[in-house]
Amino acid sequence: METTTLQQVADQLRLEAVRMVYEGKDGHPGPALSIADIIATLYFDEMRIDPRNPDRADRDRLILSKGHACPILYAALSQKGYFGEPVRDFGLRALGSRFQGHPVMGKTVGVDFTSGSLGNGIAIGAGMAIAGKHLKKDYNVFVIVGDGEAQEGIIWEGVNAAAARKLDNLIVFVDRNNWQSGGAVDATIGANNMKERFEAFCWHTQEIDGHSIDGIKAAIRAAKDAKGRPSAIICNTVKGKGLDFMEDDNSWHKGVPNDEQYAIAVKTLGGNA
Amino acid sequence: MKQFTGTREAFAAAIMDLAKDDANVMLVSPDSLKAMRATDFADTYPGNYIEVGIAEQCAVDVAAGMAASGTVPFVATYAGFLTMRACEQMRTFVAYPNLNVKFVGINAGLVGGEREGVTHQFYEDLAVLSAIPNFTIFTPADGAQTYRAVKAAYEIDGPVYIRAGSGREPDVYGKEAPFSPEGVTVLKDYGSEVVLFAGGFILNRVLAAAEQLRASSVNVTVADVNILYGKNNGRIIDLIKGARQVFTIEDHNINGGLGSYICHLACEHAPVHVTRIGLSTFGESGPADALADYYGFSAEAICSKVRNAL
Repeated sequence: METTTLQQVADQLRLEAVRMVYEGKDGHPGPALSIADIIATLYFDEMRIDPRNPDRADRDRLILSKGHACPILYAALSQKGYFGEPVRDFGLRALGSRFQGHPVMGKTVGVDFTSGSLGNGIAIGAGMAIAGKHLKKDYNVFVIVGDGEAQEGIIWEGVNAAAARKLDNLIVFVDRNNWQSGGAVDATIGANNMKERFEAFCWHTQEIDGHSIDGIKAAIRAAKDAKGRPSAIICNTVKGKGLDFMEDDNSWHKGVPNDEQYAIAVKTLGGNA
Repeated sequence: MKQFTGTREAFAAAIMDLAKDDANVMLVSPDSLKAMRATDFADTYPGNYIEVGIAEQCAVDVAAGMAASGTVPFVATYAGFLTMRACEQMRTFVAYPNLNVKFVGINAGLVGGEREGVTHQFYEDLAVLSAIPNFTIFTPADGAQTYRAVKAAYEIDGPVYIRAGSGREPDVYGKEAPFSPEGVTVLKDYGSEVVLFAGGFILNRVLAAAEQLRASSVNVTVADVNILYGKNNGRIIDLIKGARQVFTIEDHNINGGLGSYICHLACEHAPVHVTRIGLSTFGESGPADALADYYGFSAEAICSKVRNAL
């Protein structure tokens, strides 16, 4: 897909994510918007997937390890056609809804793995990558983790094991937006030096602008070309990217836009309210 | 069938036999290959042996991802490093999605951990897992039954936890050990009014207690419970219904294991007085037999509790 078209898709997904939080009156819009460009590139350009056959064994897989950002994943699955026509009423976090507060495999078609408890996506993705190699299937496993999330010890257990097992079918995006629930990452627990850490574990490591579609595409190509090692793509991003009132304001880690803010989102992101 | 002596060797023999017929049976090891006596497995099936290092949470997550993608992983290591350190991974990423991952937890109980001390003695594992939906829980008593348990676990499509010993537990069964799908096997049937439910590593002691009781004209039934909190529990309920007094004896904390399970069945189906014998404190280092005696699992202590309650 053309880069300009993907940029439009990313903004469309942003608006859908904001809409489902606005209508559901709950959710995490800031962390969703920072990964919109990564999600758009994966689902609309890179991943080998078939919404009409969502469980096919050789599909590429995505684990949203930072599961609280799920509105953007739900938006992508909806726009991609996993639920037939794009979903009008998500009922995010509502009782009985298939769109749970955090992603749940089996409840939401197209969700490749359950997430929400931080830190587990890389190790689970490593398991999927191991199975792919064992079963001689050539799929790739993509994982998106947050930079705050990387404070979890299990992250580095997974990173260690994936490197040892030479899982070159595992590609991890680190959404390095420099914020976590309680504040700035560096103020919370020190250096946010993701690239150096992954390099120390002998991963193929790149650092890019996480809002550059061309940069994301090129990084995925390079990651796929790197044989014998898992790949980390450190994506420098802006939390709340795409909406001025939300950008880099951590109060939007979790929050619900009011009517006026939603109207601004519709106008800014090119939607039809 | 591969020959073996001992509980951990029984696991290794069973997974070897399974892998012979199913190329997708995998062993995920948090540096537990030697502990599980499974080096032959790694040598014979190197592609099916997944080492993740000393990282139990990672082992469970890796297994979850593998199961979600079409393989049949067994995660095998010390019982508490699974059920406590990796409890959340077992709950949220295996049990909740109901994935086909098998867990074998060794060194369970006071007898299993024996000389290592409390850090390696696990008498809470059943309590932890009993509160998590979708788990099938097996409690084999010795090596022969562990072999059967591993094979039975493979036949189930969903999460299974096998509570295994260390090999210090004496053999109760011969090669043809029973592994009842109804979760219970009656081993002594001297009288149905008093039923001793037991399982796991102190079963031999309960059998000895039954003989001593018989010598003093107290005739009891001894039932080996090999599945806890199972759905197919009618036979256990029938035994409770026929009893005037019930006892449970387990190498586990007194809460959350066999005693709690039998109490729950008795309360709901056939109210009867139940006396639970188990641990209510932490243990300590010591030889397996001496420890078991000291903490109340001698045949004499069991007899005494039964006599006092009758």
